[in-house]
Amino acid sequence: MSHLSLDQLVALREPGAEPGTATAREHLAGCAACQAELRRLEQRVARLKALPALRPARDQWAAVNSRATAARRVRRLRWAAVGGLAAAAALTLVVLQRRTETAQVTTAVAIDDVMARSNQLERVLEAYNPDARVTDGVTARVAGELEDRIAVLDRELNTVQMQDARNRDAALLRLWQERVGLLDALVDVHLTRASNVGF
Amino acid sequence: MNDAYVLSDSEVVLSRARAGDAAALERVYRAYETPVYNLARRICRTVEDAEDVLQETFFEVCRSIGQYRGDGSLWGWVRSIAASKALMRLRRNKYRDTDELDEEFHRPTMKVDGGLRMDLEAALERLPETSRAVVWLHDVEGYTHEEIAGMMGKTVSFSKSQLARAHTRLRRWLGEEEARA
Repeated sequence: MSHLSLDQLVALREPGAEPGTATAREHLAGCAACQAELRRLEQRVARLKALPALRPARDQWAAVNSRATAARRVRRLRWAAVGGLAAAAALTLVVLQRRTETAQVTTAVAIDDVMARSNQLERVLEAYNPDARVTDGVTARVAGELEDRIAVLDRELNTVQMQDARNRDAALLRLWQERVGLLDALVDVHLTRASNVGF
Repeated sequence: MNDAYVLSDSEVVLSRARAGDAAALERVYRAYETPVYNLARRICRTVEDAEDVLQETFFEVCRSIGQYRGDGSLWGWVRSIAASKALMRLRRNKYRDTDELDEEFHRPTMKVDGGLRMDLEAALERLPETSRAVVWLHDVEGYTHEEIAGMMGKTVSFSKSQLARAHTRLRRWLGEEEARA
């Protein structure tokens, strides 16, 4: 039998018996050259294991923690906001249907438009799925601040829903417009960074 | 897989980490930061990719630590996330990984005893990415071919052949080839 190939020697190091292993072992037992080749292979593996550990040049914990904290906050806010905003939207629609004066209709249409824009931006963010992406520390911090401000706005929106109808629509329109502005900025933060790093 | 990295007070730390305690999560990060980065750097082409893998891995750890049930070692769990993220990064980057290209560009850098030879670190660095990933995961991290095939979405035979090819090249580049009469 000719000498064992490197494939065969590598296979001999595996646990369990594969086809041909017995014959190969038999050859190995009587062949000093193949034994030496196997020793060199084992020494190479030992040297690989002994290579010094490479360490990161920069501490990544701040970025990881910032992103993880933002993700937890977004999850909490989503659950809280889903109920509140759904009720707010339903209430707004009911109120708008009952209003007949031109000025009120104009405001209602404007609120509708701005809510639709808000939903559209939410969908863009959802499709981009920032939670599943790597984010640098600066982006995570800016995104976190924007999300905080959106959360504050959502609470204000809930409060405004409880106000007297005469004062409500103008405030709603202002808050929804502000919300769209913040969402726009948030989309910019994520997508601009994404395009910069070539996602 | 042996558990070379141990987190002291792991039960307490884990319990707090599962509740979202940032200090406990940082303890986990500090315990495994270097081995995760080392694994990522050995598999990925660039420092930047390895840093991204480090960040992605620990973001996933923070997000999913509630799902770790303690069946295996914590390091084993963290390492499987890191390996998976590093291999995903390889797939995404789609670097060219052809024999011809590597033979062309990966020339030995040092002459010893009249032959061409490079040190192990340089030789490992010059392996094609897939071969390097397989040799590292198998020979150093201790994954089986079945586990590597599963993580790479390839066959067991593929993993075995990549390992053998990697050793053929390492042997040549390290000047360890000896004629067997």
